[in-house]
Amino acid sequence: MPATIDDPRIIEFDVRTEEMLVNMGPQHPSTHGVLRLVLRTDGEIVSEVTPHIGYLHRCAEKIGENLTPRQWIPYTDRMDYLAGMNMNLGWSLCVEKLLKYELPERGRHLRVIIAELGRMASHLVGMGAYGLDLGTFSPFLYAFRERERILDLFEEACGARLTYSYLTVGGATADLPHGWTDKCLAFLDQFEPVIAEYHTLLTTNAIFVKRTAKIGILSPEMAIDYGCSGPVTRGSGIDFDLRRDGEPIYTSMYEGYQFEVICERNGHYPNDHAYPAVPREAVLGDCWHRFYVRMLEVVQSIGLIRQAIENYHRSSGSHGEPIKLNQKLPKGEAYLETEAPRGQMGFGIVSRGEAIPWRVRARSSSFSNLAVCPELCRGCLIADVPAVVGSLDVVMGEIDR
Amino acid sequence: MSQIHWETAWFYVFALLACGFALAVVFASSIVRMAFYLVLCLASTAGLFFLAGADFVGAMQLMIYVGGTLVLLIFGVMLTSQAQFVKMRTGSGELLIAFAIGAALFALLAGVAMNVPEWRSAEGAISASTPPHTATPLAMGLLGARVDRPLAPDAAGYLLVFEIVSVHLLVVLVGAAYLARAKRRRISHD
Amino acid sequence: MAEFFNYLLDCGAYALSGGRWSVAPDNLFGVVVTALVQVIILLHVIAVGALIFIWLERKVAGRIQDRLGPTRVGGKFGWLQTLADGIKLITKEDLMPAGADGFLFKAAPYVSMAAALAAYFALPFAGSPLPFVAQQLNVAAFFIVAVLGLEVFGVILAGYSSASKWALFGSMREAAQVVSYEVPLGLCAVVPVMLAGSMDLVVVGDTQRGLFTNWYLFHDPFTFVVFWVYFTCGTASVNRAPFDLAEAESELVAGFHTEYSGLRWSFFFMAEYGSMFTVSMLAAILFLGGWHGPLPVTEWLGMQADGWLEYSTSPGIAAYLCNLIGMTNVVLKAGLLVTVMMWARWTLPRLRIDQVMTTCLKYCTPIAAVMFVGAAVWQAALPRGLMLRTPLANIAASEPWQRGAEPVVQTSGIAVDKEAR
Repeated sequence: MPATIDDPRIIEFDVRTEEMLVNMGPQHPSTHGVLRLVLRTDGEIVSEVTPHIGYLHRCAEKIGENLTPRQWIPYTDRMDYLAGMNMNLGWSLCVEKLLKYELPERGRHLRVIIAELGRMASHLVGMGAYGLDLGTFSPFLYAFRERERILDLFEEACGARLTYSYLTVGGATADLPHGWTDKCLAFLDQFEPVIAEYHTLLTTNAIFVKRTAKIGILSPEMAIDYGCSGPVTRGSGIDFDLRRDGEPIYTSMYEGYQFEVICERNGHYPNDHAYPAVPREAVLGDCWHRFYVRMLEVVQSIGLIRQAIENYHRSSGSHGEPIKLNQKLPKGEAYLETEAPRGQMGFGIVSRGEAIPWRVRARSSSFSNLAVCPELCRGCLIADVPAVVGSLDVVMGEIDR
Repeated sequence: MSQIHWETAWFYVFALLACGFALAVVFASSIVRMAFYLVLCLASTAGLFFLAGADFVGAMQLMIYVGGTLVLLIFGVMLTSQAQFVKMRTGSGELLIAFAIGAALFALLAGVAMNVPEWRSAEGAISASTPPHTATPLAMGLLGARVDRPLAPDAAGYLLVFEIVSVHLLVVLVGAAYLARAKRRRISHD
Repeated sequence: MAEFFNYLLDCGAYALSGGRWSVAPDNLFGVVVTALVQVIILLHVIAVGALIFIWLERKVAGRIQDRLGPTRVGGKFGWLQTLADGIKLITKEDLMPAGADGFLFKAAPYVSMAAALAAYFALPFAGSPLPFVAQQLNVAAFFIVAVLGLEVFGVILAGYSSASKWALFGSMREAAQVVSYEVPLGLCAVVPVMLAGSMDLVVVGDTQRGLFTNWYLFHDPFTFVVFWVYFTCGTASVNRAPFDLAEAESELVAGFHTEYSGLRWSFFFMAEYGSMFTVSMLAAILFLGGWHGPLPVTEWLGMQADGWLEYSTSPGIAAYLCNLIGMTNVVLKAGLLVTVMMWARWTLPRLRIDQVMTTCLKYCTPIAAVMFVGAAVWQAALPRGLMLRTPLANIAASEPWQRGAEPVVQTSGIAVDKEAR
C-alpha cells in the first residue's frame, strides 16, 4: 500500500466529488507504446487502475509455428524491441537446448559481450524514459546519447540498429569485426565515469526522490505471487538472477565470470560505496529501488563486458556457425528462461521431428511485471501512475507479442 | 473646438460593458458561461474604478473577485458536476422575484447617488474623478487612523469593521476545513 | 505623450486653416493615439519577447542536453526558427472537439493573452523623471500581482470547455496551484514595497539607486531569503517546471491545451512567456535594483535627472539616454531570471500536485510571513540596511497627509480639491 495517501476505500469525505473514468492510453505520452490504462479517479486520487493490453499483438508465436527456428529469429527481435539481442539469445538458447548443441568457447564470450551490451542499452532507455515519465527531459537525451554509441557498435557487428537478428541458433551470424572490441572498450572507458552524472541528475535529485520514494511499494511476497522478475523483484530485495540461478545451459555461458546480483542485502547494495547511498525516504520495493537496481546493473554489465572481451581474445574456436536454415529438429520439447533486461524471458518449443516446430511459446517478463500495476497504483495520485508504470519498465511489444 | 470630457466617454463605455455583461449573466444558462460573463462584468467595474482614479480598489476588485472568488466558483463546478456542461434553467417565479429585488436595489442606489450634491453638476463630476492618487488613507483608515482627516484627530476609523470581517473570514475558513476533512470509515467488512 | 500628439495635431490644424483652428492640449485624439502606440509597443514586447525567449529556450535546452538546438533557419544561430514555427502555426487547422463549448473554447486563449498583456501596462522599464511605463499606477506592484492571477482564468476556461478529461485535470491543477501561490507571492512582493514605502514600482526601483549594495536583495538577510521564495513562487505561479503540472506531459498529455491547435495554442504560449517575463521583471524591479546597474555608471557620468551632464546639455536628452541604459539593465536582469527558469526546467523532474501544494502552504507561505516580519523589524531597527545604504530622502514617497499642510477635503469619500480648481 503506498504510504503517502490512505486507501480511498476507507477514507470518507463529507463533500463528495464526482468519480471519473479516464483512459490513459493507448495514445498517451507516458504509456511506453500502446498500453491502455483505465483509471477510476476521484479528483487526483486514483482508486482503481485496469491495464488493457493487446494493441500490439502480431501473432508472433503462431508465426513461429510456421517457420524454422532460425527464420523466426527476426520475430524475436520485435518482441522486446529495446533488447533485441537478448531476445535472439533467449530463443537461440532454447532451440540449442532442444538440439543439445555445444557452443564453441569463443562464441560463448561473444554472446556475453553482446547480451550485456544489450542489457545496458535497454536499461539506458529505461532510465531515460523514466526521467521523461517524471517530467525531466534531459536525462532521456543523455541516455540516448550513450545508447547511440552502443547501437553504433551493434551496427558495425551486424548491420542493424534495432532489429539485429545477430545472435542466432548455433552462435552468431558473423564474428565481431576486426578492431570492434577496442571500440567497445573505448566506449566503456568513456561511459563508466558518466554514470555518476546520471546519479546526480536523477538518483539523488531531491525532487526525483520525492517522486519515487515510498511510491508503488512492491513487497517480496507480492512480487513472487504475481510472478514478477528481473529488476522489479530485485528492487524488492529478492536475491535472484537467472544468470546465476538459471538452468545450466544458460549459467554455463557466464561460467568463470565475476559479477554480483544487484539487490539489497542487509540494508546494503553490493559495491554501493561507489554510488549514492539509499535516501532515508526510500522503502525497499518502491519505485526508487527498482530504478536504482537498474542503474547498478549497468555497472555490473560494464564489468562483465570487460571480462568477456578479455576472454574472447584468449579463447580459441569459432564464433559458432549458425545451424542450417531448414535443419530437422529432434523430437521433443524444450523450455528455457533467460535473464533478459526486463526479467525472466522464457521461450518454449515443441517439435515433432520436423524442421518447423509444432508449438512455439514465449513467456513475457513484462506481462507479469505489469500485472502488479493495479495493486501498486491503488490509492495513489494520477502523477504516480506514470511513475509506477515507468519503474516497472514494460515493453508492450513483448507483452502483446 | 470645445473640450470633450473623454473621461465621460470612457465611463459610458465601461458602464455599458458592465451592464451588458451583467444582463448576459442573467440570461446565460451554463454556469461556467455565467461565471465568464461575471468576470467580464466585474472587470469592467474594475475599469470604472481605474477611471475614477481608485487604482487600489480596482486592483482589489480584480484580485479578489475575478482572480479569487470566480476561479473558486468554477473550480467547484468542475469538481462536483455530474455532467460535462452544467445547464441551469431559471423559473419564471424566480425571475420575477429577482427582478423585484433588483429593481428595488436600483431605485435605492439611484436615489442615493442623486442625493450627493457634488455629483449633480458636470463640474463636480469632473473633480470627483481626480482624487489624490494614494491608497494609504484607505489602509490607515482600516487600521483605525483617519489620516485623511488630520483636522479631526478623534475621527473614528474602521478598525472594528475590519476586525469583524477578518474574524468572519476565519470562521468561514475553519468551517470549510471542517466540511472538507477526511474521516475514516468506521468498519468495512468487505 | 498625449500632449505631444495633440501638439502635432494642432500644428496640422494650424497650417491647414491658416491659423484659425487650434486643438486643446487634452484633446481625445492625443489620448487615443498615445494609448494605441503604447498598446502596440507592449504587444510587441510580448510577441517579440516570446519569439526571442522561445528561441532562447531551445538554445538553452539544446546546450543543456548536449546538442545544438536550432541552427538552420535565419542564419548561423537559427534566429528565425520561432518565426518559422509561428508561420507554421498560423497555417495549421483550427480544430475544436465536437463536444466542446465553442464560445468559451474560442475565447479562452484571448482571456489568457489579455491578462498577460494587462500586467505590462503598469510595468515600468525605466525610472524617473520620465518613467518608461504605459500607465504609472501608484499601486503598480499590487496591480501586477492581481492581474497575474487572472491568466489562470483563461486556462480554466480552456480546460473546462475542451470536453476532455485531461484538459479538465490540467485546469483544476492550475486553478488550485495559482490561487495558492498568489498568497506567498503577494507576501514576498510586499517586503520591498514596505521598505520603499510605496507600491509604485517606479519609486521602488528608484529607491535602489546607487551601488548594487542598495538593492533590496542585499538590504538585509530577510530580503535575501524573500527573493528566493519570491522566485520560487513566481516560477510556480506562471506554471514553469518543476511546477508545470497544468500541462504535465507525462501525466496529462498536454493538460489544459490538449485540444488546442494552431494559433490559439500559440496564444497560450505567448501568454506563458509573457507572464514569465512579467514575473522576472517584477523580481528585477523589486529586488535587483530595477533599472539601476550594479555600478552607478550613469550617475558618475552625471546623466541622471539631477546630474551635471543632464543639467548642462539640452533638457531631457541625457536623462532619456540614461533611461535607455536603465531599460537595457532591467531587461537583461529579467532575461537572466527567465534563463534561470529555463535552466531549472531542463534539469529538474516535475513535482507532484500534493508536493506543489505542500511547498506552497507548508514552506513558502510561512517562510515569507516570517521574513516579512523580520524585514519589518530590521527596517525599524536599522533603516539603512546591512550595507549601510545611502539615504535617499528625496525619492522616498511622501503622502499628502504626511506633509501636514493643507488637508484634502473629504466629502462622502471622494476628494474635491477646491484650491486646485
